[in-house]
Amino acid sequence: MSLRGLFTFRGQSSSRTDAVMAVIAFIGFIGLWYAVAFFGIVPQRFLPLPTEVIAALERMIVDGDFLSDIWISVLRVWAAFLLSVVMAIPLGIFMSSYRIVGTLTEPIIDFIRYLPVPALVPLLIIWLGIEEASKIAVLWMGTFFQLVLLVADDAKRVPREFVEIGYTLGAKNRQILRDIVLRAMLPSTIDNLRITLGWCWTYLIIAEIVAANSGIGHAIWSMRRFVKTPEVMAGILTVGIIGLVTDQLIRYAHRRYFRYL
Amino acid sequence: MTNKDAFIAIDGITKIFEPQDRKQKAVKVIDNVSIDIEEGQFVVFLGPSGCGKTTLMRMVGGLETATSGEIRLAGERVTGPDRRKGMVFQAYSSFPWLTVYENIRFGLKYRDDVDKAEKERIARHYMGLVGLTDFAGFYVNRISGGMRQRVAIARTLAAGPDVLLMDEPFGALDAQTREFLQYQLLGINRSERKTVIFVTHDVEEAVFLADRIIMFSARPATIIEEVQVGDHIPGDRTLETKETQAFFHLRNHVLEAMRVQARRTEELERPVVA
Repeated sequence: MSLRGLFTFRGQSSSRTDAVMAVIAFIGFIGLWYAVAFFGIVPQRFLPLPTEVIAALERMIVDGDFLSDIWISVLRVWAAFLLSVVMAIPLGIFMSSYRIVGTLTEPIIDFIRYLPVPALVPLLIIWLGIEEASKIAVLWMGTFFQLVLLVADDAKRVPREFVEIGYTLGAKNRQILRDIVLRAMLPSTIDNLRITLGWCWTYLIIAEIVAANSGIGHAIWSMRRFVKTPEVMAGILTVGIIGLVTDQLIRYAHRRYFRYL
Repeated sequence: MTNKDAFIAIDGITKIFEPQDRKQKAVKVIDNVSIDIEEGQFVVFLGPSGCGKTTLMRMVGGLETATSGEIRLAGERVTGPDRRKGMVFQAYSSFPWLTVYENIRFGLKYRDDVDKAEKERIARHYMGLVGLTDFAGFYVNRISGGMRQRVAIARTLAAGPDVLLMDEPFGALDAQTREFLQYQLLGINRSERKTVIFVTHDVEEAVFLADRIIMFSARPATIIEEVQVGDHIPGDRTLETKETQAFFHLRNHVLEAMRVQARRTEELERPVVA
């Protein structure tokens, strides 16, 4: 394992080195946390020991209902995310393929994109109530309008030559979209989906804190009322771990499936 | 005047690019150009960069429309792109998500005149013709730029076009690779006998490849001279042809004509001082 690449400007490192460094970073981070809490640099009431957080997580799962909270949160995220995806990909592609779609939708999407999603929560609750629909809507608002512009950009970046190769081989518009445009943009679109999925979690916690009686956000918020810092941190940690694992899985699939990159 | 029976008739083509906004002026890039091309002829469009030769070739492919005039392929007016007009680009000439074989096979994807087994046979045949059988399973960005252009040529031929349109296909390659591919292209075309329109600004490439060179002026493109290469360099061409007196003479003649046009192009591009 050569370490020189790590210290040279714009150097290279092997994936094994990267993995080892990631583990070192996590150990270092947890070690620092442990030390700060252990020596009381920050009072343990505010910063509990990592072991206490783990113990709290165990209590929440064994004695409480935290597993079903996790489950419902994951369901909400994926339901809203998939809804965004199935709407954003076709619309994004049509926006870049036909000027009429692009010129009509872009200004509105740009406007909505700039609205802060938390500001829409009260309105969405008035419209849709406090059941699942309003939570899905919050997540959808936060991701769809961003994603559709990213997809439109991906489609626009497909080289003109690729499309013209299709035409000169006798392909129809529909075949060019399916066999060439969609296929050419896929790697960068999957990357954009991965990033957007992360945003879903942010909006989920907001939605669950404001109005919910289940989910990770709700669990975190109700523990706060009793100043149960270890439980609050355990909830946050759970979101982080789910995010990290999902992200790594998608990256891995990306590498496997797009081996030509 | 164009001949009614010509295989490809480029008939009085003028192209004016309309300005995007009111401040700009319309630019005439092609000025009343007529060319007859016989079936099986290898025609090179030679001209300074930006002169409109590529635009004219793209019109034959149906990828660009003329402001006035028309183009006919085998007596039929060209109105849009299709499988009869194959195209090889300089960049992005093949699909990175497909292997060498899959790229060539893609050329037959939209053909319904042959069955699956026949498509595979044709794809393998052209993969062999361009000498890439050993690289069948390689993704195209794992192979050299020269090989990538051979993939594009094989894919285009596999589609069974009437005319092969090549837009500076070797322009991005190093000199040695370019020379090798030119030589290979001559060999391929000897067995395929395709009608080819090949666009380049490289004089040596033009003289080496062409049956007929059509030299274009600086913008707007008009034909300044035509050369039947066979009249000057008879017989089959090999890499040694480039060492002959006849080749030198013709190359120098064409080079001199193009030099004048290159100077004119530079003057066109020079900013106007008010």
